Amino acid sequence: MAVFKTLAASAIFSLFAAAAAAQKAGWGNVGQQQEETLTWAKWWTQPLWGGTWMAWTAATLTVFIFVFGAMIVLVALEFRYPGGQERRGVLNLITTRGDRLFLSLLGAVYIFLAWLGLFGMPLWAPLALSIGWGAFCFWKV
Amino acid sequence: MKTLNQRAWFFVLPVLVLVAFNALIPIMTVVNYSVQETFGDNLFFWQGLDWFQQILRSDRFHAALGRQFLFTGLILAIEIPLGIIIALSMPRQGFWVPVCLVTMALPMLIPWNVVGSMWNIFTLPDIGLLGYFLNHTLGIPYDMTQSPIAAWITIVVMDVWHWTSLVVLLCYAGLMSIPDAYYQAAKIDGASSWAVFRYIQLPKMKTVLTIAILLRFMDSFNIYTEPFTLTGGGPGNSTTLLSIDLVKIALGQFDLGPAAAMSLIYFAITLLVSWVFYTVMTKGDTN
Repeated sequence: MAVFKTLAASAIFSLFAAAAAAQKAGWGNVGQQQEETLTWAKWWTQPLWGGTWMAWTAATLTVFIFVFGAMIVLVALEFRYPGGQERRGVLNLITTRGDRLFLSLLGAVYIFLAWLGLFGMPLWAPLALSIGWGAFCFWKV
Repeated sequence: MKTLNQRAWFFVLPVLVLVAFNALIPIMTVVNYSVQETFGDNLFFWQGLDWFQQILRSDRFHAALGRQFLFTGLILAIEIPLGIIIALSMPRQGFWVPVCLVTMALPMLIPWNVVGSMWNIFTLPDIGLLGYFLNHTLGIPYDMTQSPIAAWITIVVMDVWHWTSLVVLLCYAGLMSIPDAYYQAAKIDGASSWAVFRYIQLPKMKTVLTIAILLRFMDSFNIYTEPFTLTGGGPGNSTTLLSIDLVKIALGQFDLGPAAAMSLIYFAITLLVSWVFYTVMTKGDTN
């Protein structure tokens, strides 16, 4: 009788132990969110400020910081060297620094869109082309 | 050296605030939406540049863009020469000047959706004045709800009716600013009326024509209300211009991401064409 009791107790105990082990192995976590490692790429593209209607991400924020930064640099340059550095470039247009920035940015948009439409990802080549176009704009146009 | 009073800059502030709220903040939001997917509730998922690629390669977008350029091209080709001709034939002084000006200004005072509804009813084959006349009196089959050609004729004629006056008024203002001495000198030299137009009137109208062409380009390229109320983009897709297609994607299908990408491409096209027009037309002045 005592042997039987001991056997039954150990059977029940091992059942619990197995269930606990299974829980630990993952069945208890099925419905739970995975703890994600925040990689650099994830941080770059995930919603900032907990998802508000403007839907900012670090990537898009950087674009606008770049554009407004460039405009601030132009204003600073205008205070330091007034007159807008007006000249007649290779396109036979009279341009100022602002015109050249506008042309660089607009050209870059078209270079990226054309590449994306014709060849698709990745976009390293149009990035190089855009930088080249920008340099050309500020140097020659 | 005289120091300039910089206080005037503060008067620009209200405009700056206005522009921030009606242009800058919306366009920033559109840029943000164009690279993400959302199902509402301010939940966003990164999508990269997929929407742009999808729009750039979609036949639907190419077709709408083609229709848009056709529409804008027709509008400019008709309204600008017609506006110049009407402005040249308007009286320079006397009783008829205010009569002409007010008559010219009337179409522009009518709200855009009303213009669309008016022309819709006007051209309906069974009850509209024009539609009934064409179909039942002249026997010409004309039904803009059935035939794409009729729909196109109707939207173009409607826009010409609505907006040629703008070109007329701008050109008329340009013509009125020419001093009589120019005409007297031309008369002494025995210049033909074509020479007067080519070498006196046209150069003097250049600035206002630049403004007229730019305004008519931008307005007709971004047109929405009038064709929407007139044809709703139909029959089929034949008058679905870019803006109508954009609203279908954004509000009909609630695909905010693709719609945002499409509106940025749309904006880039408007910006480039306006810049080219402006540069070409003001190039003579800076030389």
